[in-house]
Amino acid sequence: MADNGISSSNQVNNSVLIQPTNLECKNLYDYLTTRPQNVLEKLYNRPTICLAVYRELPELARQYVIRILFVEQPVPQAVVASWGHQAFSKEHMYVSKVLSNLYVWQEASIPGGLQGWILSATFKRNLKIALLGGGKPWSMSSALDPDNKARDVAFLDGYSAERWECVLHYMVGSQQQEGISADAVRIFDGSPVITRQGFQFLLLDRQAQVWHFVLQYLDTVEQRGLDLAECLTFLFQLSFSTLGKDYSTEGMSPRLLIFLQHLREFGLVYQRKRKAGRFYPTRLALNITSSQNKGIQVLEEDVPKGYIVVETNYRVYAYTDSNLQVALLGLFTDLLYRFPDVVVALRGGITAEQIIGYLTQHAHLQMLQSETGSALPPTVVDQIKLWELERNRLVYSDGVLYSQFLSQADFNVLREYAQSSGYLIWSNKEKRTMVVNKSGHDDVKKFWKRYSKGN
Amino acid sequence: MTTIEPEDSKSNDFSSTDEISLLIIILDTNPGQIILRDNPHTLTQCVDSVIAFANSHLMQKSQNKLAVMACHSKSSEFVFPSSQKPLDVRQIDGQYEIFTLVEKTIKANLTKLIAAESTVLCNESLLAGAISMALCYIHRIQKTKPVGCKLNSRILVVTGSGDSAFQYMSYMNVFFTAQKQNVVIDVCALDQHLSLLQQGCDITNGLYLKIPQLQGLLQYLLWVFLPEPPIRLKLVLPPPVKVDYRAACFCHREMVDVGYVCSVCLSIFCKFSPICTTCHTVFKMPGPLAVKSKKKKMKL
Repeated sequence: MADNGISSSNQVNNSVLIQPTNLECKNLYDYLTTRPQNVLEKLYNRPTICLAVYRELPELARQYVIRILFVEQPVPQAVVASWGHQAFSKEHMYVSKVLSNLYVWQEASIPGGLQGWILSATFKRNLKIALLGGGKPWSMSSALDPDNKARDVAFLDGYSAERWECVLHYMVGSQQQEGISADAVRIFDGSPVITRQGFQFLLLDRQAQVWHFVLQYLDTVEQRGLDLAECLTFLFQLSFSTLGKDYSTEGMSPRLLIFLQHLREFGLVYQRKRKAGRFYPTRLALNITSSQNKGIQVLEEDVPKGYIVVETNYRVYAYTDSNLQVALLGLFTDLLYRFPDVVVALRGGITAEQIIGYLTQHAHLQMLQSETGSALPPTVVDQIKLWELERNRLVYSDGVLYSQFLSQADFNVLREYAQSSGYLIWSNKEKRTMVVNKSGHDDVKKFWKRYSKGN
Repeated sequence: MTTIEPEDSKSNDFSSTDEISLLIIILDTNPGQIILRDNPHTLTQCVDSVIAFANSHLMQKSQNKLAVMACHSKSSEFVFPSSQKPLDVRQIDGQYEIFTLVEKTIKANLTKLIAAESTVLCNESLLAGAISMALCYIHRIQKTKPVGCKLNSRILVVTGSGDSAFQYMSYMNVFFTAQKQNVVIDVCALDQHLSLLQQGCDITNGLYLKIPQLQGLLQYLLWVFLPEPPIRLKLVLPPPVKVDYRAACFCHREMVDVGYVCSVCLSIFCKFSPICTTCHTVFKMPGPLAVKSKKKKMKL
C-alpha cells in the first residue's frame, strides 16, 4: 500500500489537508447562533445588544421586526409571508429562519388553529427602550464634569492607530515591539492569530481585524473570570458611543474595569490614567460588528490614508515607511527596489481574493479617483484571479492506496463500502486501485479483514 | 450548530444595499393646516411619530444619515442636524444616545421656530421651497462625501395642508431636478389628497400614501416609508393609484383638463390670451375655426 493519493478535481469536497486552512471570521450572527437560548435571552435583556442584533439582521428581517414591534398579539405566519412578493419567497424563508435561530421571534398558535409569529418579549421590550427611551441608562453614561484635558478626535485616531499597529507588530514578531504588556501577551497566547493564519488576519481590513480579535478574546473571557454577558454588553455600549466624547467608569464592576484595561491596551478606548474615572472610545471600538460592510467609510470620517498604487503592468508602488506594511506586501509580491519612501514590487502570487481586498483597501487616494469606478486596474484583478485558478487546479489530500485486488468483486465490495462511508477519494475500475483518506484507513482495513474472513 | 448561508445571489443582493442612505424628512408644521387648527395637539402626535420614524431609519444601519426640516408658511428650516453647535446630550434612560440627540434637537428647534411664528395664519405651506432646500442639502453632502462611496438619498414629505397650484412651476422644477439627481420623493398626506405631489412621487419613483387614520401615523410610516427603494421591490406595498396628471394654468393657477398652450414656451393658459404672459409672443386673434386647432389636450 502506498501512502499518497491524488484526488481528481471533482472530488474537492473531500478533506483538503495541505491547503492552508482559511481563517474563519464569524460575524455576529454566526457567533450568536452558537450560543444556547438561555444565554441569548439573558443578552436580550440589554437594549444595546438588541440594537446590535437588530442591525446585523438581513434587510428584510429588519422590516419584519419593525412592522410587528408595536403589535402585541402573534401575527399569523401567512400574513407575514404575504408581506413579501412571491418571487422572493426563498428569501422570506431564509430570514424567517434567521429570526427563529436567534430567538428574536417564536412560533405561537393563534386561536383558530393558525400558526403565528410573536417577537420575543424581552427582545421587543428592550429594542423599544433603545429606540424610544425608558428603562435605565447604560452603565457608562452617568454625568461627568467637563474634562479639563479633553481629547479631540484627531488625537484619538492617532492613538488608536498607534496602539493597533503595536498589536500587529507583535503578531508578526517584528522588531518594533514596545508597549505590549505582559497581560496582553497572555491574551495572545493560545489564540491562533499568531500562527500561520496570522498573515491572513493581517490582510483583513481593520474593522474585521478588531472584530475577529474581540471574538478570540470573548472565547477566553469566562476562563478569565469575567462575565460574558457583561463584557458583550459593554462592548456594544462602546460601539454605540460617540467619538470624541468622554464616558464615566463610575458604577462599573471591578471585573469590567479589568476588561476596560484590556481594551485600552489594544487602543479601543483611551484613558489618560488607569484611575482617571473617564475614558474616550476610539474609532476602533465604534460599530464593531459591522465588519461585513467592507470598504464603506462613513461620511465625514477621514480614513487612514492609502499608500498603494497598482499599475496595469503589474507593478505595485507602496508609499510607506512602515516595515510592517512592506513585510505584508512582501507576502505576495517580489520586492524590486526599495527607496527611502517608495517600494517597487512585481507580483508573484501566493494568496487570493485577499490580495485584491487588501490592495483595494489601501489604495492610494490617486487611484480612488480614477474614472473606472474600481480602484484597481481590471487587468490586474483578472490576472490575480487567473493565477489563483491556476494554482488551485490541483488539490492535495493525504490518502492510502489500495491496489492489487485479486478479483473485481472484492474491489467492488470495498469500493462500495468506502464510498458509502464517505472515505473514498479516488478509484479506478480497470486498474482495480482505489484511494481512501487517511482517517478512514483503519475503518476500511477492519472491514476488509472481516470481509475476507467471511469468505 | 445550525448554519444557513444565503445563496450567492442573495448575498450580492445584501451587499448592494450596503451604501449610505440619506433620508430627509420634511414635516409640515404650518399652524394653518386644517388638522392643526381643529386640534393643535395633533402636532405633538405627528412630531412624536416622525421622530420615532426618523430614529427607526437611523437604527437600520450605522451608516444611515438623517436630516429633518420644518416647513412653514413663510420659511423652511432644518431642525436636524442643528445649524448651531450640537447639544451636549447625556443618556437619561436606556435610549441610544444618538436617538436622544435627534429627539432633543428636533424638539428644541421646533419650539424655537413655533415661538417665533407670527399669529397671522396662512394655510399654505412652502413645500416646493422646502423640497428644493432638501435637494441643495443632498447636493452638498454628495460633494463632500469621501471618494468611492455611494449615497442614496430620498425625501419624505409629511403634510396635512393642501397643495396649491400657486407653486405649480416650483413643484415641477423640483420634481424634475430630483429625478435627474436620482432622489426619490415620498409623500405621506395626512389630511387631503395632493394631486401635484402625487405627480412628483410618480416622476421620481417614490410612494404616495394618503393615510386613512391619523392615529396610526407611525405604523403607516414604518410600513410604507421605512423600506429603502431597493427593498421595496421585495415587499408588497400599497399599489399605485392612477395619477392625476392635470396641470395648473399660469394665468389663474387653476387645474385644467383642457387649455391653451403657447407654441413658443409651452406655458399653459385656461383662457385664450393674445399675448403670452411668459414669453410675450403675440398671437393672432383666432377665427371661429382656428380655435379648434389652438386647443390642445394637456398631457405631459
